[in-house]
Amino acid sequence: MLDWIDDKLEARGLVRADLIIWPLGMAMAMLWALPFVWMVSTSLKFPGDVMTKDIEWLPHRITFENYVKVFEYPIVRWGLNSLIQATVATFLCVLFGAMAGYALARMRFPGRDTLFYLFLASLMIPAEVSVIPLLLGFIKIGWASTYQALILPSIGNVFAVYIFRQYFLSFPKELEESARIDGAGPFSLFFRIALPLARAPAIAASVIVFTLNWNNFLWPLLVVFDENMKTLPVGVAAFTPVVGARTQIEGYSVAMAAVTVLSVPSLLMFCFLQRYFIQGISQGSVKQ
Amino acid sequence: MAGYVLVAFFSIPFFIFNVLPVLFGVYVSFTRWSIVGSPRWEGLANYRRAFSDKWVVTAFENVLFYGLIIVPSVTVLGLIFALFVNQRYPLSSLARTLFFAPTVVSATVIGLVWVWLLDTQFGLVNYYLSFLGIENIPWLTSTRWSLLGVSIASVWWDLGLAFILFLASLQDVPGDVIDAARVDGAGRWQRFVHVVLPHLRPTISMVITLQLISTLRIFSQVYVMTNGGPASSSSSPIYYIYNVAIVRNLFGYAAAISFLLFGLILVVTLTQRFVLKERG
Repeated sequence: MLDWIDDKLEARGLVRADLIIWPLGMAMAMLWALPFVWMVSTSLKFPGDVMTKDIEWLPHRITFENYVKVFEYPIVRWGLNSLIQATVATFLCVLFGAMAGYALARMRFPGRDTLFYLFLASLMIPAEVSVIPLLLGFIKIGWASTYQALILPSIGNVFAVYIFRQYFLSFPKELEESARIDGAGPFSLFFRIALPLARAPAIAASVIVFTLNWNNFLWPLLVVFDENMKTLPVGVAAFTPVVGARTQIEGYSVAMAAVTVLSVPSLLMFCFLQRYFIQGISQGSVKQ
Repeated sequence: MAGYVLVAFFSIPFFIFNVLPVLFGVYVSFTRWSIVGSPRWEGLANYRRAFSDKWVVTAFENVLFYGLIIVPSVTVLGLIFALFVNQRYPLSSLARTLFFAPTVVSATVIGLVWVWLLDTQFGLVNYYLSFLGIENIPWLTSTRWSLLGVSIASVWWDLGLAFILFLASLQDVPGDVIDAARVDGAGRWQRFVHVVLPHLRPTISMVITLQLISTLRIFSQVYVMTNGGPASSSSSPIYYIYNVAIVRNLFGYAAAISFLLFGLILVVTLTQRFVLKERG
């Protein structure tokens, strides 16, 4: 019997230990996702079924009442703010990052390398150091609680420049040369030839920068004083039911409905574009 | 010329909103500055004050504990998970998705979900621990446990990045070297120790550095889960900076503390680089 198993395993390049490792690892992966399952499960329960002595993974009766309650808060407005902030900031960051990355990789001009090292060196400075003076500046010019305030500081994300520079460094020369013979200037070279071909780094940079912007927490928390200008993560954070002196809004079932709404866009985007997330992260951090 | 124009679109917002504020912040840190009224020059007073402020000391002590808990956990678990997924068992791409998923959601999701999971009376964690005979642990409401409670949520959130970096590095392990080791009769464990681990070394040190820096900057999950409490037991430098600036309206002092944190991050990063160079 054991020989038979060993043969079967060997045919697949496995050993006996794999029979334990595989289920164990898969169980760990399932365990890792359980908080999400519990989140959704709680969000569908009647408030009276939530704080119970026994754990009920699949609710015996479900309700969408919690979601209705969530939408009694300005959650649509917060979502819209988040969407505007994250989309505009990501678009500008990726477009400008592509332009800079292209110039740094394919063109020669004095100060080019210094500039690139400056960009890299800035990664050593945590964003939190600039947050307080930035806030003072935005308050002084009367831009607190505005879209400008939410968007502008997120454009200068060096990650995008880095990804595009890496990509354009290995870009085939021939494509540029034939276009140059046809009389294309540097700008049409970039916009007509280089940029359309840079789809992969553009998507990788977009998904990662978008996720960072969508999830950004400290800056929108600081710069927004107006309930209507809050972003989704900051607005939803107030649903914390138990902690300290913070207001108890609705209890866990509504809180879980709110975070389900908040996490769905990120998780969906991740599921569909997983390949680009992974590609972007592994390319973006090989620098050390 | 064209090169400068192409670079300018990125560089201008970058310098105005990411570099200039740091320089302006140095000035702010030497002043007494609240939202109303004009700033008053105070020289090094804010820095002197920070060194004798017991809450600053608490916040920096806490962040070292956060580092001691979170960094090794993320590194070791991330590596184990990556090794598992890299075996290419059936369904391993599902496992990859599940291990990475928490990393893409916002701190608010992480925070609220874990506040509920770690609830003292009705939380899932204490429910299952009770089967092991462990009595209800006040994860987020006692000074003894709150830092650990926040750390658990942080490990769940942060692990994805380390995991993906390890996985990418594992996929670069040269196949012919592995095959040669196999032909020489090296078992799986020996191949791991003698081939895979040396190959992973730069990635391990990169993961440790990145995770250490991100842990030193821990804020959002603290804000959402515990508000730094109870009694500042889970506070962190950035949480304290937030508190000083927004609640107490002392912007100069907040800026000074942020530079102390920057100093700490710089020391940690440079030490790590130095140690790495010594070895390599």
